[in-house]
Amino acid sequence: MTLLDIRNLNLAMRSYEGETQILHGIDLKIERGEIWGMVGETGSGKSLTGLSVSRLIPSPPGRYLAGSIEFQGKDVLKATDKEMRALRGRHIGMIFQDPTTNLNPAFRIGTQLVDVALHAGHADPSVLGLSGGASRGDLKRAARRVAVEMLDKVGIPKAAERIHDYPHQFSGGMRQRVLIAMAMIGKPDLLIADEPTTALDVSVQAQILRLIHDLVAERNIGVLLITHNLGVVAQICSHVAVMYRGRILEAGPVGDVLKRPSHSYTQALLNSVPTAHTKRGELKGLSGVMPETAA
Amino acid sequence: MSLDIRNVTKIFPGPRQGFFGRSESFTALDNVSLSIRKGASFGLVGESGSGKTTLTRCVLRLETLSAGHILFDGADIHKLTPLEMRRLRSRLQIVFQDPYASLDPRMTIHDIVAEPLVIHGDVVRLNTRQRTERVLELLLQVGLRSEHMFRYPHEFSGGQRQRIGIARALAVRPEFLILDEPTSALDVSVQADVLNLLHRLQEELGLTYFFISHDLGVIRYICDDVAVIYRGKLVEQGPVAEIFDHPKSDYTRMLLDAMPDPDPDHSPFRNQAIA
Repeated sequence: MTLLDIRNLNLAMRSYEGETQILHGIDLKIERGEIWGMVGETGSGKSLTGLSVSRLIPSPPGRYLAGSIEFQGKDVLKATDKEMRALRGRHIGMIFQDPTTNLNPAFRIGTQLVDVALHAGHADPSVLGLSGGASRGDLKRAARRVAVEMLDKVGIPKAAERIHDYPHQFSGGMRQRVLIAMAMIGKPDLLIADEPTTALDVSVQAQILRLIHDLVAERNIGVLLITHNLGVVAQICSHVAVMYRGRILEAGPVGDVLKRPSHSYTQALLNSVPTAHTKRGELKGLSGVMPETAA
Repeated sequence: MSLDIRNVTKIFPGPRQGFFGRSESFTALDNVSLSIRKGASFGLVGESGSGKTTLTRCVLRLETLSAGHILFDGADIHKLTPLEMRRLRSRLQIVFQDPYASLDPRMTIHDIVAEPLVIHGDVVRLNTRQRTERVLELLLQVGLRSEHMFRYPHEFSGGQRQRIGIARALAVRPEFLILDEPTSALDVSVQADVLNLLHRLQEELGLTYFFISHDLGVIRYICDDVAVIYRGKLVEQGPVAEIFDHPKSDYTRMLLDAMPDPDPDHSPFRNQAIA
């Protein structure tokens, strides 16, 4: 069964100026073991596509005009709120861009991780390694153990001690690891990573990408990696979809799309990444590449 | 217009402990020396927390030095009187990292760009009308249009805001521009446009750049010389081509390897690929 099947997704958002259509017929299929990169500029609709999958777009202002998002054969757009809560964190994990705003500064890292673990454990005790009918105390102890395990797994030294620290005691890269740990606690089948490395240094970025790569290899999950940097896509993704103004311009295996882009926009995106070999004057911005069309 | 940084050390005292005690101090810059020649672009690379921004703050005299000298055209800037320092600041301008935080949301673009002209009024000497003309000239120079003049920052995209920040820095016709990660908050595609703009401005106006970044690709693209800083110490410095093609230290090599290359064949993950 296909892990995630997005068909003809059309989303409109309402604002004071009226309703504007943001997504124009997105089609995307993600299988287990695949890392899909979704690239595009600011405002191209890549984040909204990601949010739609776990149905985190409030309605209003959002309104789906047409389409379906089937996650393991079930349409999430038609699911009830209760069903969605069971999916989020347990079957669909999410990592957001900014690790500073997505951790609560008033609570210890451990508390925040245990909360997530308990939520997942209530829905399915096997996540915490327990059988059904486990007592509240068992759940709590198991949640704590799993939280430390995950923190250790994402490469935080002395996890059992650091679990008592507050977010401000962690560096940017470590906070991002905490968020990844949080997303992985429920052993999700699909991980949505929305610009997970944009706020980080290149050296830390390489570590985080390695982490995501290893998780896929180990657990055979599917990943939707949202980014504006084709360099990141080229490093770890197996497939890529290039978005522009709410449409997918081209999609396919990374080797095909990045080596022989069929669309001039993809080529332009490639040309805008500075590498160790780029000479002065070779870098091209995107102005004038795409014709200004009224969306 | 050259800048000489000689054996600069900056030590921040640790937080207070009890009545008289202080916990351990932190050495942000440790004996840093570098010189930037006129008309060149000098790049400073390092991770967050390595002391890059502290160094720029020292150059602008926003921080005092614990030891060492910073010479601007032969004059030690940390010995200047406040009036002399203000005069000097009109020749030494900065573009900040975050275009969303460095523009006052309650000022129009005209007022933002004209503000340095007012502050340095004793050096530039323009009347109100001339100031507006200068603002228009600057906006056109950085690729914005005349109708943008009386709008507010929130009406602009990140790339446009960074162009406004550049126009503001250029307003008083400085000779030396400090660029503190000017593109790290921007999309790669927008970054390319801003880098090309900076490159063009340097050729047109004969500016000297001190370019701070954690992105080696950006440094390679815009700079002539580069210094690599790690935990407050300079690891390596020299011409860009030399450092990039023959890095001497392991740290520089590590940074180079961590750069995302848009060619899938160069990926460190591909060998064990999943596809």
